[in-house]
Amino acid sequence: MSPNPNIIDTELSPAAGRGPSYAIQRVYAGFMMWLISRLLQAASAVDPVIKKDIDRLPEDFSFSMRVRSGSPALAMRKMGDDLRAVQPSALQRPALVFEFKHVAHAFLVMSFQESTPRAFANDRLAVDGDFACAMKIMRSLNRMQALVLPRFIAVRALKAYPPIGIVEKLGLAARIYGRLVIDLFKRDPS
Amino acid sequence: MNREYFEFVCPVKMVAGFRALEHIPFELDTRGSVRPMIVSDKGVVAAGLVDIVVKAITSEGGQVGPVFDDVPPDSSMDAVNAGAASYLESGCDAIIAVGGGSVMDTAKAMNIMATEGGGDPRRYAGYNNLKHRLKPYIAVPTTAGTGSEVTAISVIKDTDAGMKTFYFSQFLMPDVAVLDPRMTLKLPPMITAATAMDAMTHAVEAFTCLAKNPLSDAYAEAAIRRISEWLVPVLRKPDDARGRLELAQAAAMAGIAFSNSPVGLVHALAHTIGAMYGVHHGAANSIFLPYVLEFNLPASRADIGDLLFHLAGPEDFAGTPVERRAEAAIARIVEMKEAAHAICGLPRTLSETGKIPKEDLPKIAENSLDDGTVVMNPVDVTYEDALAVLERAWGD
Ligand SMILES: NC(=O)c1ccc[n+]([C@@H]2O[C@H](COP(=O)([O-])OP(=O)(O)OC[C@H]3O[C@@H](n4cnc5c(N)ncnc54)[C@H](O)[C@@H]3O)[C@@H](O)[C@H]2O)c1
Ligand SMILES: [Fe+2]
Repeated sequence: MSPNPNIIDTELSPAAGRGPSYAIQRVYAGFMMWLISRLLQAASAVDPVIKKDIDRLPEDFSFSMRVRSGSPALAMRKMGDDLRAVQPSALQRPALVFEFKHVAHAFLVMSFQESTPRAFANDRLAVDGDFACAMKIMRSLNRMQALVLPRFIAVRALKAYPPIGIVEKLGLAARIYGRLVIDLFKRDPS
Repeated sequence: MNREYFEFVCPVKMVAGFRALEHIPFELDTRGSVRPMIVSDKGVVAAGLVDIVVKAITSEGGQVGPVFDDVPPDSSMDAVNAGAASYLESGCDAIIAVGGGSVMDTAKAMNIMATEGGGDPRRYAGYNNLKHRLKPYIAVPTTAGTGSEVTAISVIKDTDAGMKTFYFSQFLMPDVAVLDPRMTLKLPPMITAATAMDAMTHAVEAFTCLAKNPLSDAYAEAAIRRISEWLVPVLRKPDDARGRLELAQAAAMAGIAFSNSPVGLVHALAHTIGAMYGVHHGAANSIFLPYVLEFNLPASRADIGDLLFHLAGPEDFAGTPVERRAEAAIARIVEMKEAAHAICGLPRTLSETGKIPKEDLPKIAENSLDDGTVVMNPVDVTYEDALAVLERAWGD
């Protein structure tokens, strides 16, 4: 609630007033999706917990996360033992799709204003595909966020912050970011 | 800023109570149907329930197409295909499902095929993959439990693919749900208890999980009140028509609640032991419900405490200090389980099912975490958490 009842809360109408325009929200969400896919690729190579879930995904598994209208989007595919970020256009029919109804909803999640479970509960985000695979990807995304984000941000994104020591966390985070940088200098497989 | 947001939908026409079945001819006529197909299963046909429905229709000069009664427990893709083929061959123009959740879910998937004119039903599986309305579909539940008569969900066992195929679309919601006490009067006590506890679990999880909202809460509360009041009297006196109708209404209301505020960890565990050992869905929910509520107390103490009002009535609620209401509510659910166990042998613990080897608990915990319903559970669930709940639910 605004402290002054005469001031209309402009956050309720981003298109009409202040606050980031939809165009900016789309650019930001697009950047975050790009980053998430690269971080998950790196984390799945470095963190044993995530690796275990990725190993249990079927051969050639693929998934995408997108705004319903088509962009922004991220796509990943399991190749051999690795989970790799690929061009969304390269996936004909991903086995699993996470879909935001509107870019504003993707923005809420990607800017840590709304957690992923809350976005599901609010019908802003939906999954289409095999639930067992969806749960493995969601667990991996949660764990990846717990590792790479500062704790005060991660607690806003997650239902529960995992019991992980600061030394272990920093060690894994450093390896994930290091891996991300190495991957960026390799040729993109897509 | 208030960030609350919710969605709620239930377009199903409810036709409920005394002589409700006799409204079916009108509902068919006003939807332009002259030849409905009936979908059922062998148990329901043997109980004489399909005859009652058919007579209600033909006595007014209506016609009925073929009766398809080949639906196995938990449905099957083969039944969906065979039923749809029979629908198309015989020139039917509507579907009436007479049965429990297995029959109603099968009829929903058949309706997709009947409307699309055949093909592979797996093509339409998943979330919102139907783009237009289906043929008129009237659901006549003969169990008071699943709420499938008001939900947008259908789950079909696919033996070939070795998995369960899930359909979700607003177009799967029946046009009409007919609740007539004659349909559940002869329901055996064990199925009565198990299905009522399924409905109880739908309502309690809708009320305590993440997507709860003012409208789903209202339906959940009304359902819990009715089941608490009527389950034990109906188990004692199975031909109590008033109580049967109350339970049928409660199951529908619980269905409306959970289709707008999805279920959580109780269902994740129940789905898993259902798939691994064939434990009846309602019986499984009944086993886990109090243990999961205890696990959820850190996040849901206030909500669970509020349920005491509906589980035990205003006097007990007022007489219980606020900080003890949640425990009292859970104790009340345990009492219902004890009563159902004493009257009809509904299992209270995993060991009482006699179907589950104790050394499988770790595997059950692991598989449960892959069930989509854990996302909506108010407390995050780790493998260790799931295993701890399973060990408590094991009993001795
Ligand atoms: N679509 C949904 O929203 C939803 C929700 C929960 C469960 N389900 C599904 O529902 C199924 C379970 O349904 P259910 O619990 O209603 O059991 P059911 O439909 O499998 O029926 C159980 C048995 O009871 C018999 N029976 C049913 N009504 C009877 C009556 N009035 N008299 C005598 N016998 C009768 C049947 O012949 C059957 O043998 C599961 O497959 C589950 O996946 C669906
Ligand atoms: Fe259920």
